[in-house]
Amino acid sequence: MEIYSPLFGELLAPKYLNWLIQGFAVTLVVSALSCLVATGLGFVLCLGRIARSRLIAWPVRSYLSLFRNTPLLVQLFFWYFGASALLPDTLRDWLNTPHGWDLMLFGLRWPPFEYIAGFVGLTLYTSAFIAEEFRAGVRGVPVGQVDAAAALGMNRLQIWCHIVMPQAVRIALPPLLGQYMNAIKNSSMTMAIGLAELSYASRQVETETFKTFQAFGIATLLYIAVIIVIELLGHRFQVRQLALRPGR
Amino acid sequence: MDFSVIGNNLSYFLLGAWPNGPLGGAALTVILSAISAIASGVLGFVLGVALAMTQGVTHRVLLGCLAFFRAIPVIMLIFWTYFLLPILFDLNVPGTGTVVVALSLIGGAYLAHSVYAGIRSLPPGQWQAGAALGMRRWQILRLVILPQALPIMVPSFINQWIALIKDTSLAYVIGVGELSFVATQVSNREMVFPTEIFLFVGGLYFTFCASLEWLANTAARRYTGRPSLS
Repeated sequence: MEIYSPLFGELLAPKYLNWLIQGFAVTLVVSALSCLVATGLGFVLCLGRIARSRLIAWPVRSYLSLFRNTPLLVQLFFWYFGASALLPDTLRDWLNTPHGWDLMLFGLRWPPFEYIAGFVGLTLYTSAFIAEEFRAGVRGVPVGQVDAAAALGMNRLQIWCHIVMPQAVRIALPPLLGQYMNAIKNSSMTMAIGLAELSYASRQVETETFKTFQAFGIATLLYIAVIIVIELLGHRFQVRQLALRPGR
Repeated sequence: MDFSVIGNNLSYFLLGAWPNGPLGGAALTVILSAISAIASGVLGFVLGVALAMTQGVTHRVLLGCLAFFRAIPVIMLIFWTYFLLPILFDLNVPGTGTVVVALSLIGGAYLAHSVYAGIRSLPPGQWQAGAALGMRRWQILRLVILPQALPIMVPSFINQWIALIKDTSLAYVIGVGELSFVATQVSNREMVFPTEIFLFVGGLYFTFCASLEWLANTAARRYTGRPSLS
């Protein structure tokens, strides 16, 4: 049977394994950078969302609704094809030409445009979800805490910094890790704009070698491995939290 | 901005090549979403009940399988179904079928946990009271537990379906002519108006998802007395 031989054929050549590992590295770097920036942006968006001024709250609300209710794929297409058409010519040319900086030992290269579009798309999309997780964290802090702090004579800024925020962040942490996992999985969509991450690499290897089972299998295992690592980190954090909780 | 490109291709965006060719565009997106929503709902319900009614090894094997589907990106699962379905069933599965299978599996895996969590959210006293009345486990589930647990699950079902509508856009990677695929086709053909095209297509998806989200919030207010957080 011709069709079964690629299924159980020998392992991939080192060259193709290398492609997959490089793709995996790209997935990790792009997701990590996106998560980092999206966490900061999501925090600021959360502050805007719960602001008392409607002038701030409503634009943020629309941002969150827009970015959460459209597919990431379409957003990526927009940033890759659509936004580059909107940019002024000089800026677009600058973004498209390679630049380099030499920082001591590391040479830093300006990434190709699909990397910028992919990073921007993934970051903005993730930030909208992270903002809602932070907001859920803030809502999880009992109102009595705020009242008690006010009774102690704290002002609003003090209450926010010393009472609400530390508890809100702690509540939001487990769902936040869930969003980081989503970001890693969602980074696979950047393959549609040609970013050479893990899914892209697995497809590339598959078309060149016809070893579908190995190519997709290795990529799948790598994705599962990262998810398990994050899951374990979250578990360790929760165990520590339970141990720290007073009265137990 | 020149939105005439939208007007010129409107029927292609909405219906694809239909009636002269296969149905595509927004209509195909709606059909893909509807079929996968039903399939994932049924699958999620059955698996969630199975999680609640099993113990020991069966329970853990089931959890492991669900964890697999929740851990891998939708794109990877679409690749897998695209590659494995024809081998497993020895027939030519069309792209739309592949996508429906992949989305139903992923949606079902997520919903199974919502159903399981909904059932577990009820106090154990409900089970004990049912047992005290002489009911069997399945009777308790059907007559006591589910009538209370189902309303709690409604918002998570709708939220999962919103995610599902967005995920139908991934049918693009295997060349199914749904809305995002049609959008890139028109964009490549016209060359000059990518911004307008993707804004319009994003707007269409937004209309679908935001109306469902509004429904989810209404349902959440009605069934649990507070708006959903997501």
